[in-house]
Amino acid sequence: MGEVIVVTSGKGGVGKTTTTANIGTGLALRGKSVVLVDADIGLRNLDVVMGLENRIVYDLVDVVDGVCRMRQALIKDKRYPNLYLLPAAQTKDKNSVNPEQMQKLAAELAEEFEYVIFDCPAGIEQGFKNAIAGANRAIVVTTPEVSAVRDADRIIGLLEANGLRNPMLIINRIKMDMVKRGDMMNIDDMIDILAIDLIGVVPDDDFIVVSTNRGEPAISVEQSLAGQAYRNIVRRIMGEDVPFMNLESDDGFFNRVAKLFGLSKKR
Amino acid sequence: MAENAVIFKGTKDGLYIILKEEMDLDTIKANLDKKIKPSKRFFEGAKIMNFKGKKLTQEEFDDLKEVIEQEYGMTVVGSFNEKSFEAKAESFEIKKPDMLEQLPFENVHKGEALLIRATLRSGQLIQYKGDVVIVGDVNPGAHIKAGGSVIIMGTMRGIVHAGANGDYGAFIVAYKMQPTQLRIGDIITRSPDGLGSKYNNPEIAMVKQGMVVVEPYLRNK
Repeated sequence: MGEVIVVTSGKGGVGKTTTTANIGTGLALRGKSVVLVDADIGLRNLDVVMGLENRIVYDLVDVVDGVCRMRQALIKDKRYPNLYLLPAAQTKDKNSVNPEQMQKLAAELAEEFEYVIFDCPAGIEQGFKNAIAGANRAIVVTTPEVSAVRDADRIIGLLEANGLRNPMLIINRIKMDMVKRGDMMNIDDMIDILAIDLIGVVPDDDFIVVSTNRGEPAISVEQSLAGQAYRNIVRRIMGEDVPFMNLESDDGFFNRVAKLFGLSKKR
Repeated sequence: MAENAVIFKGTKDGLYIILKEEMDLDTIKANLDKKIKPSKRFFEGAKIMNFKGKKLTQEEFDDLKEVIEQEYGMTVVGSFNEKSFEAKAESFEIKKPDMLEQLPFENVHKGEALLIRATLRSGQLIQYKGDVVIVGDVNPGAHIKAGGSVIIMGTMRGIVHAGANGDYGAFIVAYKMQPTQLRIGDIITRSPDGLGSKYNNPEIAMVKQGMVVVEPYLRNK
């Protein structure tokens, strides 16, 4: 049985879809069989980020409604043979599926794939409840902003209430020079409030914009710093102990981040 | 004033008679008489371990001993010993049954407290009619509404409402007080604008002169 991971955040626009695409690609690059599921029904964009939008014939709602078989809806990635995508419906909305159906879907996929990754929509309503229904692990993505942290805290509370304990945290779009100047929340403060294990820190990288437009996740690109961060996250998901990247030249902060390395031990 | 010149105290060792410090021997004797005579039968045969409280001279001790043994039929087991008068009379109040719960403090509040051992996250609401104790943090966006007082063994960043049913005597305590809002009774207050100094010691919030006041509750800090 494969692992079912949900990537969620509460706040919109913090990088859930980007994270899902990159982690999925990264795991596939390491030889794992992976399926990415876009649970953002009505506002799908995982297919765009993966560059597969013109290959969609059937979607998640079709599978749940029995219009087609699972195999017909799954789209094989154009670069990696062991990576698949189950796209969302664009012309329906989040009330088209319910949590029980999602649980059944997740279980079915977990029999075929080593990793099933759900891209959760923003919010805490039906879309969120659907996306977490089948998951046994959660990744919470946040940016270093008070509003995002507030929402992430809410989400963590809801995840715990739904039995998804010990979610892992990814801090996305961090700008080290701003943190140094005191203009941006630092990592310690965020972990102090959220109090969950940190699995990765991804720097703000212009290349993400480029990679999204091209439909090629940044993780496959050597020069991208964000890609490098995602590669490390993938290794940590797979159980390796990877030191956090030195995202700036000043030693002072790196030592503090290295201390947080102790928090990255996998369970 | 002469009322409690003489007090009987039972300990696990036995019965002691405590004599009030400043009383003279005659007052003491008179008092003894007053206390023992009405229930003479009850006291007959009782063993008095010793006297405590007022410092007695050898003479006074012998005098009292004689009175107690001859007049009231009790026996004084102990002997004249200077050291046994070190104890202060006040600390030997007899505990009458209805005084059992009288503790030597003010501000003793007895009730059933809600005890939560977890960090409260944004969006979580706790409502309880009594006192609430949180062993953990209260994150911004979390809301506690208590009829009594609220004690947070952690960092308080959320909204806490103590004395929600109108009790202005309720208080809020936290290891680190960084609230979004504090409410006691119907008085609402927030932290002063601007990033104030982060005071890292435990503080208590209570109502003083119609306002919610936050101050350290350990005097030396």
